[in-house]
Amino acid sequence: MKLRRALNVPWVGPLLALIAVYVLFVVLRPDTFARTANLVTMARQTVVVGVATVGMTLVIVHGGIDLSVGSSVALTSVVVAKLLQGGHSPLTACLAGVLAAGVCGALNGALIARAKMLPFIVTLGTMSALRGAAKGLANEQKIDAPAGGLDALLSPLPPSRAWMLVPPGVWIAIAIAILFAWILRATRFGRHIYAIGSNEQTARLCGVRVERVKVSVYALAGLLAGVSGVMSFSNLTVGDPTTAMGLELDVIAAVVIGGGSLSGGEGSLLGAIFGACLMTVVKTGSTYVGLPNWVQEILTGAIIIVAVGLDRLRQKRTAR
Amino acid sequence: MLNRRALLASVAVVAAFGCKKGGGSGALKIAVIPKGTTHEFWKAVHAGAEKAGKEANVEIIWKGPLKEDDLKAQIDVVQSFTAQGVSGIVLAPLSDKALVGSVKAAVDQKIPVVIFDSDLAGQDHASFVATDNRAAGRVAGDEMVRLLGGKGKVAVLRYQEGSASTNHREEGFLEAARKGGLEIVSDNQYGGATTESALSKSESLLSAQNAASGGVNGVFAPNESTTFGMLLALQKSGLAGKLKFLGFDASDKLLDGLKKGELDGLVVQDPFKIGYLAVKTMAAHLRKEPVEKRVDTGAKLVTKQNLDTPEIQTLLHPPIQ
Repeated sequence: MKLRRALNVPWVGPLLALIAVYVLFVVLRPDTFARTANLVTMARQTVVVGVATVGMTLVIVHGGIDLSVGSSVALTSVVVAKLLQGGHSPLTACLAGVLAAGVCGALNGALIARAKMLPFIVTLGTMSALRGAAKGLANEQKIDAPAGGLDALLSPLPPSRAWMLVPPGVWIAIAIAILFAWILRATRFGRHIYAIGSNEQTARLCGVRVERVKVSVYALAGLLAGVSGVMSFSNLTVGDPTTAMGLELDVIAAVVIGGGSLSGGEGSLLGAIFGACLMTVVKTGSTYVGLPNWVQEILTGAIIIVAVGLDRLRQKRTAR
Repeated sequence: MLNRRALLASVAVVAAFGCKKGGGSGALKIAVIPKGTTHEFWKAVHAGAEKAGKEANVEIIWKGPLKEDDLKAQIDVVQSFTAQGVSGIVLAPLSDKALVGSVKAAVDQKIPVVIFDSDLAGQDHASFVATDNRAAGRVAGDEMVRLLGGKGKVAVLRYQEGSASTNHREEGFLEAARKGGLEIVSDNQYGGATTESALSKSESLLSAQNAASGGVNGVFAPNESTTFGMLLALQKSGLAGKLKFLGFDASDKLLDGLKKGELDGLVVQDPFKIGYLAVKTMAAHLRKEPVEKRVDTGAKLVTKQNLDTPEIQTLLHPPIQ
């Protein structure tokens, strides 16, 4: 009975899947895949997708979609590199980068909430426009910039700081995930997000200021994409306008694997994070086993579909 | 009847004037289509093409696929230039098969095509101007054999499925490495189009093969993004300089790595010369001069030792305006 109730918590399924896939690869490659160093590497590699996934969860739960995430990440990495190159401090560069992405997010929100345009269309437009802006700003090439210490965010820890267990960037991502999980579950703003996603009209009748919440959600998603862009810069140490191409699809997949529904009103932040981790494990595991890329792509696709299928079964059972 | 004849005559006159205008050498329009526009490599190709354009007195239209490495977008670009009726198309195909149809369509409409950088199947194009990539890959393979003294384990991080130029480099490297007695521990992993994907693939590859405890003695990467991704992965895992690493193409960060001894060598093509000779060949072909079917633009191994020679310096820093 207890087990059944546990299975009905939305993030338990993705967690079990994550553990199962991890164990599978450990069994296949016990001497290499199981090492802690590999766990840390996978955590580092999930940060960029993970932080963006937090924002996308908010957007999808409130019934929207944001296709411009990948382009915002690229734009941020270019802004950060450009400012560092111009001799600004790393802190200024990061803040400006995150803010730029936040403004783009707010613009998405304003067009969707105030001008009543479809989120898919608006963000499809900004996806292209922001990618172009990133390329233009970067003069169509990678920007080599002094990393200014930002590279430490996601580099493996030097022995002197081994007590941190994982690099600071991973801790930042974990803190962000916990903060937003709390906001979604325990604050009025969080409940409004769920309410709008379930039924916008009812939410409006109940006095939720729908437009204001929508703009805030897209702005937050933008800011988080900005943080993700800073992480991307720290990883590459260059501002790359072509980076994160197609990232939005990985991010949406993570949310969906985690139990999010594209029709809104449902979704779990923890589940989405586990979904992001799951995809990294599959990617890394495939390389360890030596699977060619095409097999890996089929695997990832199958996991998305199976995960969503299982989640529908769970909901049917709960509904009964 | 008379009226009609007059009309025909006037059309003929207009056509003749039009021809005169279009037939002058100054109005030759050559579309140059790269694989992408953001890699530094293509900047140098562009500079070379512009220089050749000025020398040969032709107009250069430089237009890459909108999305980097997007095959469909490149096909669209070729087709739209064909429809516009440019004098000639110089193309670096993203796929050796998928562009055959569009190239044939262009040639059928009397628009000659010169292929550069990366090969195309079929016989429709007038000439193929590029590095002999297989030979360039063998240069890297032979160097790896020399560095490792003829024994050891090597891994190749491939670039992308369906890209002929990098595929030939990888094959050339593997061929020379096997012949020299090296053991290939991994040759089926692809870094993908961006540095980011190459980096995470490199990290997985290195730890999967136990690189830290001697599972890999040497690595090879076949282009700029995979080489940079691998370099970052080696730096992050503290392995940089501990195993032999040969890359392809050059950028500031890669040359830094070479100076620090984190890279043992870079095979560098001459992108400026590729762009220059491709446009020159097309201009000659358009003016009915004979052209070679295959023009090799050469590749050089850059190491810490020869880095500062003038020959290598002009290769690395082509005169971009």
